[in-house]
Amino acid sequence: MQDFRSRLVVSTIILGIAFLVLASRLWFLQVLKGDEFELFSLENRIRVERIPAPRGRVLDRYGRELVVNRPSFDIYVLPKDVDDVVSLSKNLSMILELDNKDIAEKVSQASRKNRFKTILIAQDINRDQLAFIEARRSSLPGLIIEVNNLRQYPHGTLGASFLGYIGKVNENDLEDNPKLSNNALVGKTGIEKSWESSLHGEDGFVQKVTDALGREVDSSPFQKDLKSKNSVPGKDIFLAIDIDLQKAAEEALGEESGAIVAVNVKNGQVLALASKPSFDPADFIKGIDSKTWTKLMNDKTFPLVNRATQGLYAPGSVFKMVASAAAMKEGIVNPDNRFHCPGYYRLGTHTFRCWKRGGHGWMNMRNAIVQSCDVYFYKIAERLGIDTFAKYMNNFGFGSVTGIGIEERAGVAPSREWKLKRFKKPWYKGETIVSAIGQGYVSTTPLQIAVMTAAIANGGTLLKPNLVLKEVTFSGDVNEIKPERVARVPVEDEIISIIRDAMTGVVNDPRGTGRRARLENVTVAGKTGTAQVVSLDAQTGNKSHMDHAWFTSFAPAEAPEIAVTVLVEHGGKGGAVAAPLAKKIMEIYFKLKEERKANDNV
Amino acid sequence: MIMFDRRLFYSFGWSLFLMILAFSALSLLNLYSASYQTGLVFFKKQILWVGLGVLCMLVVSFINYKLLKQYSLYLYVLSILLLLFVLYFGREVSGSKSWISIGSFATIQPSELVKIPVILALARFYDNDYQGYSYGLLDLIKPALLVAFPLVLVMLQPDLGTALTIILISGSMILFIGVRKRSLALLLALVLGFSYPAWHFFLKPYQKERIKTFVDPSRDPLDSGYNAIQSRIAVGSGGFTGKGFMAGSQTQLRFIPAQQTDFAFSVLAEEWGFLGGVAALLLYFMIILWILDTASRSKDKFSVLVCFGIAAMFFWHIVVNVGMVIGLLPITGVPLLLLSYGGSSTLTAMIGVGIVLGIRMRKFPVPATAVELR
Repeated sequence: MQDFRSRLVVSTIILGIAFLVLASRLWFLQVLKGDEFELFSLENRIRVERIPAPRGRVLDRYGRELVVNRPSFDIYVLPKDVDDVVSLSKNLSMILELDNKDIAEKVSQASRKNRFKTILIAQDINRDQLAFIEARRSSLPGLIIEVNNLRQYPHGTLGASFLGYIGKVNENDLEDNPKLSNNALVGKTGIEKSWESSLHGEDGFVQKVTDALGREVDSSPFQKDLKSKNSVPGKDIFLAIDIDLQKAAEEALGEESGAIVAVNVKNGQVLALASKPSFDPADFIKGIDSKTWTKLMNDKTFPLVNRATQGLYAPGSVFKMVASAAAMKEGIVNPDNRFHCPGYYRLGTHTFRCWKRGGHGWMNMRNAIVQSCDVYFYKIAERLGIDTFAKYMNNFGFGSVTGIGIEERAGVAPSREWKLKRFKKPWYKGETIVSAIGQGYVSTTPLQIAVMTAAIANGGTLLKPNLVLKEVTFSGDVNEIKPERVARVPVEDEIISIIRDAMTGVVNDPRGTGRRARLENVTVAGKTGTAQVVSLDAQTGNKSHMDHAWFTSFAPAEAPEIAVTVLVEHGGKGGAVAAPLAKKIMEIYFKLKEERKANDNV
Repeated sequence: MIMFDRRLFYSFGWSLFLMILAFSALSLLNLYSASYQTGLVFFKKQILWVGLGVLCMLVVSFINYKLLKQYSLYLYVLSILLLLFVLYFGREVSGSKSWISIGSFATIQPSELVKIPVILALARFYDNDYQGYSYGLLDLIKPALLVAFPLVLVMLQPDLGTALTIILISGSMILFIGVRKRSLALLLALVLGFSYPAWHFFLKPYQKERIKTFVDPSRDPLDSGYNAIQSRIAVGSGGFTGKGFMAGSQTQLRFIPAQQTDFAFSVLAEEWGFLGGVAALLLYFMIILWILDTASRSKDKFSVLVCFGIAAMFFWHIVVNVGMVIGLLPITGVPLLLLSYGGSSTLTAMIGVGIVLGIRMRKFPVPATAVELR
């Protein structure tokens, strides 16, 4: 028995050690790590429900709605809380008229990936479905109804090209703004993208107590643990756009491909920015489906390209204003110097033709612009040289973006240096000559032409086109966007007025190329352009190798207010095709102005 | 052979009896909190089990242990028959056939109860066999077979938690009797040698999964890993003083799995914190110490071995269960004696204590050298 006693002592020691180990583990968990586990336990039982912030509206200059919101009831599932995938998907498929297997597959796939992340099952369910689900919510653990906001377009496709579209966040968006929810919709192009941070607002949240199955339970005993935060709605964006003018511009383009830009020449406010063909932003409301997306992407007419800011075209004769300003400023010609136009110009072995085969005869600066004589500009450009000319192109804003704030392209204001860099080839004199009439390497956007026109109209101030007037918070705080001067074009007033006078002649002189832009009560000044499309296949014989038609203009000529630039792709002659469209816009602009004045007086 | 001796009353282990009553009250309180949300069904049933258990304890304590020794082999055979009965007629609960229904009210888990006959049988075997020297490997065959019969039947159910405790209890007893060091080393080598084929051929996938999950609970956050994590969160968030009676959020919101049965301790630790957990452990410690003390006062081998076996039963149940709840050991279905809900485990614990009390009060006079615990 004695050896049993000693073994009992050993057993007692082992017993003591074992209990010490258990107690010290308790000490570790409860005292040392207690706070950490307390936090875990909070996270465990508290579910955070997002309160999505309504996205800001987009309005025109008079506060008329272009983009607004409407509520959408969306069905989500939190896989962690689903206790029976089969019955959940069966019930949901019955109520939502979706495929049973699809839902089940979606949920089980998601729960394999991340059980704590909600997944979208159905968006924008109707009121009946909502009522049905609400009534059965307690028997559908894991189901979450979220009220989101969907974009709505009271004017349909109007302005789609600059308003842009929204889409599901991708990883880049999340990198920019990690606070975004995984299901958030964000601006992908246009105003929606550029002003995303203002429009988006801040989502709020509310914490709810749930049991182990994720069902919401009475939260009163845990009230002290609960937090919530209201959402901050996105800011409303007031555009400089005038819906009426925008509508006129889009209607004027009709079925043509092209762009119309109307800007206020004094402050650069963009009154209309039309691009055709365009797309329907309604397709993107819930995030676009892949079929529609592929169709849009493969569309040969490029509806997703904003031609006004991203379309690059040879400017043709509307570029002559830049050449004449440069030549006069550099003292190469004075307005009275006359050059003879026999219909062609020979440089070395090469012959450059004027658009008028028979020639214009003797031309001074004014006549050369009015009648758009090419030979006159060949001659002054040869004397000017490409390097000096390139400097003036840059001064008028070519070769760099205007800073309008949505997607745009810079185009090319070619120079010797540029060509060497781009093609690794030296510059040829002939290339200088064609640059003066807006051909060759020169490429511009319609917006750049409008900005140049505005600078001529306002006496030489290059303005930054201003698309957004102000942003207004939900509580009414206003942040005005001040118009910005980019630079003063380094050309004297006298030179600018000679060009302006010539542009008045283009529309009003008997021999002017832009007579179709004439208005009865207002003097319009303008310049036609017909840009050859070099790279097109001439053999097809279809419209696609016709010239681009340009017309850029301002009015009233004596005290300019508005500049309108029109580009019609493959339209043919600018004077014939583009000028009448500019006239329509001008007409409506002045009519609206009269009407508003009359209304104000009442 | 029930005889009344006045000395029986005086030498009755009142302190152990009171500790058991205290624990029963604590268990009911804990169960009240854990089952409050679901209508107190478990709580009400457990009141009956505790009452029945105390009754059994008293009845058993008045049986002379010599009688137990005499009938231990019959009890052993009876329990084997019961286990066979379960295998054929048992009720299947979550994949195991471990239960016999008694009417519509109660179910009994014979594999739990079989521990007592095994302890008695082993004690009786060694009482006759023990010669005062350490046992070699060949000498272990007989006691091993004695344990193997019920063990295999329990494993067939399968009830791995109970099988584990049977191995641990009987293993402790065999070691307590003494095994030659060389034999022990050889045994260890054999076990290790067999564990490789056992892993590949004998363990079922879900059993392997349990072991893997124990090593890394996050690999299966849905099932056993979920239990491990939730249990640890409940215990840890209890902090030093606990969240208070019926205020344990993990318990009340039912994040803890099997919170009435295998995870009763995590309910206690969440609501009463470190203080409550350590108090419960201390109470257990005292109970086992008291049982070991009884063993040390015993004059015959049989009662020493029986007391030691019952102490080992309590010890292993506590270590395995609490170790699992606080994330030190893998999750196995081993109830915490005296605290978990359940008729079989309550009766087993009470009968075990009853036997010890019976031994204790027949040991007079009390040797003065022993540690006084009363």
